[in-house]
Amino acid sequence: MPADAGDTGKAGVIIAPEDAPSMDKLAHAIVDDFLYNTLHDLLIKVHRDEKIARANTAAIKVEKLAVNTIDGATADPKPDVEVETDAAVYKDGKVTLKGNPLKSTKEILCPRCHFPRLLYPTDGKGARKPDPGVIYCKKHPYIEKPGYDIYGQTWVAPGPGRGKKKKDQKLDPNDPSSPAPGAEGSAKDRPPNVLSFPSATCSKCKRCILVTRLNNHMGSCIGNSGRNASRAAAQKISNGSNGGSQNNDNTPPGSQKGTPRPGSRAGSPRKRDVDEFDEDAEDSDQGNPKKKKVKPNTLTKKVILKAKSPATAINVKKDRAKGSSMLNVEQKADDETKDSTVQVAPKKQAPNPKGVSPAKKLKLGTAKPSLPSPAGKKAKRDRDMESESSGALSSPPPR
Amino acid sequence: MSARPATPASPKNHKVRAAQPGQPMYGCEHLQRLFNQDQATTNTSIQHYKAILRSIFDTNPLISQTAKAIDGQIVTSLTPTYLCLQCPSTLTEDDRTKHGTKKSHRFYVDSRSGSLYCQMCDDLVWDPTFEELRLKKMGTGTFSSRKRKHEELFETSDPVRDNPTYISSNTTAASCKANGLRGIYNAGATCYQNVVLQSFLHNPILRNYYLSDGHSAGTCDTHHCLSCAMDDMFQDFYAVENTNGYTAANILSGFWISEKKAFENLVTTKEQDAHEFFQFLAEELHERNGDGRKPETGSEHSCNCIIHQTFYGKLQSTTTCQNCSGVTNQVQSFLDLSLPLENLSHKKGKKGSSKHTGSLTLQECLDEEYIKSDKCEYRCHNCTSMQQARRQTSIKRLPNVLSIQLKRFEYKQGRNERAAKIDTPVQFPLQLNMLPYTNRARGPQDVKENYELARSCTYDLLSAVVHVGEIDTGHYVSYCRVGDQWFAFNDHKVELAQKSDVLNSKAYLLFYIVRSLS
Repeated sequence: MPADAGDTGKAGVIIAPEDAPSMDKLAHAIVDDFLYNTLHDLLIKVHRDEKIARANTAAIKVEKLAVNTIDGATADPKPDVEVETDAAVYKDGKVTLKGNPLKSTKEILCPRCHFPRLLYPTDGKGARKPDPGVIYCKKHPYIEKPGYDIYGQTWVAPGPGRGKKKKDQKLDPNDPSSPAPGAEGSAKDRPPNVLSFPSATCSKCKRCILVTRLNNHMGSCIGNSGRNASRAAAQKISNGSNGGSQNNDNTPPGSQKGTPRPGSRAGSPRKRDVDEFDEDAEDSDQGNPKKKKVKPNTLTKKVILKAKSPATAINVKKDRAKGSSMLNVEQKADDETKDSTVQVAPKKQAPNPKGVSPAKKLKLGTAKPSLPSPAGKKAKRDRDMESESSGALSSPPPR
Repeated sequence: MSARPATPASPKNHKVRAAQPGQPMYGCEHLQRLFNQDQATTNTSIQHYKAILRSIFDTNPLISQTAKAIDGQIVTSLTPTYLCLQCPSTLTEDDRTKHGTKKSHRFYVDSRSGSLYCQMCDDLVWDPTFEELRLKKMGTGTFSSRKRKHEELFETSDPVRDNPTYISSNTTAASCKANGLRGIYNAGATCYQNVVLQSFLHNPILRNYYLSDGHSAGTCDTHHCLSCAMDDMFQDFYAVENTNGYTAANILSGFWISEKKAFENLVTTKEQDAHEFFQFLAEELHERNGDGRKPETGSEHSCNCIIHQTFYGKLQSTTTCQNCSGVTNQVQSFLDLSLPLENLSHKKGKKGSSKHTGSLTLQECLDEEYIKSDKCEYRCHNCTSMQQARRQTSIKRLPNVLSIQLKRFEYKQGRNERAAKIDTPVQFPLQLNMLPYTNRARGPQDVKENYELARSCTYDLLSAVVHVGEIDTGHYVSYCRVGDQWFAFNDHKVELAQKSDVLNSKAYLLFYIVRSLS
């Protein structure tokens, strides 16, 4: 086998040392042949895709030309004309190639929409600027960029409190497109490729629930049996608040946790609280941009209540500092921006515009007395309550 | 060459593939000339091409890889040789030109891929007529357009409906952007569902079923039907231009509402086992689409529903009595193959083969379950008493999509009972040959049948579900293949993935699709 191919296989890359025993040389030759085959197969695959795409492009172009020459009014898909481009001939309704499409055709048209394909990603690895004057096929090459998905999208950072706080904050200055946790609430300031989590309607109660909370919600809304419900019931009881009320599931867990009764929380891991708070925040985050404008009242109200002037999202960051100094809670400003939307989210579905808020207020009442412990661990709970209260106060009764 | 049979006198004329819009009629000008000479040339060209493809794909590769040089020397090579389309010579790349000038034969077939090389273009040529034959041969092993059973199921024999103008005037083409690549939002510890849903979404059989209105949500009156929810999801993935994540609210509520005793403990707000969810979803969809009978475990239950046609295969366990050598066969259908890892990795560890400490291959796991036999006791009918017996399980019928679970989660009994995760890496191939694990593997076959059999037992990896992290705090991600490109799905995030990312992952569930379908 290696006899005819010189010292090694066909690729000629893997070469045994001069003095190697003949079996070694044979082994090298075989590996070399396999390398050749691997490359050969890969090349054939790419060649096939590319050449067929170009050949079809040539066909599409000449067919278009044929339709155009007979003045498209008849819209006959197979006009009886004879036209010719550099790459193909159209005759008797048939397209035949002229020369090698790899040489004659430079672009690739989408076989479905007949727009040119964008050949390079617009961002990330191997990116090139597309020609702004060209309408491209909507199927774009996929983007390969750390932190972004194949469409160049990224998501609103989960925000502080998920155990990634420091990391998130560090990222902000380096990467302008990564949303500052503080600016989360202001969707209009986000670049269009930064998405936030959507809401979905619960099929049973028709309420609008943030997607990250959907499973929990359904657990309590639909899954009203089994140990889970009993566990939930137990938690309700131990929480002591609005035990009999039917709108339990609508109460953000943050506020449930807000009732500082250490005993009731003994079993639950710390992380969970954090998560839930977080999700809560995101809940409020989504769907707010329009509503915000609609309700300047509530916003200002809150603004007055909480910080000095976070009317614009850019200020929010600055405000952070103030907020934290004022309230002993680091993410103060954050909460606030999020809060500003708390009252908005439930509004969206608004099948019965009354209900939740009274409950919230009620809760607030019970929660408030426990507020005065500002230190360390309790900070989060306080924060929750704080957000809850602001939401309840500023909003007209939602739900 | 003896392998090339003499052209049989064919009564019917071979036709060049009809012109398609947006596609040239021929691969190149030179082929156009060949096909336009006369019917006899077209016939012989196509017959020769078929014969060459047969000798490439159905016989020992030694035949097509052996070339006879101009000087009469016989050379067998690992690298491609070229089979002349116009005469029965096989040539090396170097001799191809000489042969061309001498005989004016201009078309050659690459011996490894069956693709056509045109000497006048000095390039490979992808001719619609020849490519159709090649793809058919590679895929199904036959040139006829006989379709597999499941395809017939989706076929509409209505001539009005098959009319392209009817289709174009009654449908709107989906945007080129809608390609089924979207993430699914995590609704709170639901990543175990997301990974299974993604693997369903990128399963071509299920996709075709749902996109061809297999389950019509319009006429289904079951409340909170999971199959309708799946239908919605497929529509949203393949017909809508949205690139944002998908919210699987209907699936989730269908899941919560479903009353399946077996999966009761699955329905919680906690992270669950993706494999259990897979079983749940499969059974639920079977019930919505199938014959309504509950799938009984351990029985040979077959039904024509989409789930059975996609995932279900049959196992045969053969029990041989050690006393009277009486053989009992038992057949049962399976949704997936569950492969235990723990014993095997222990065994390997004991052997002390330092090369792969603790590392297994998928084939080793399959060997253990479906080739080796084990001892058992059973009640022999002949001897009418309890006897020692050898039991051997093999696959009687392979499914279209083979799902494999690597049992990474084991419930350890003992003083401190707990579930543990087995982190042993298991190497799995992109291409899996299941022939050795079928009951056809035993027994004599002739060569041709063997190649065909091997082809029908060749599977390509379609998706892999991976569990990362610890057992109770972990996360599920999945990899799915679309065409030749792999994608990593992490809840709402979709990223490009390399084959190496996929193959280096510690897979938990693997989905393989039979080659002849893809």
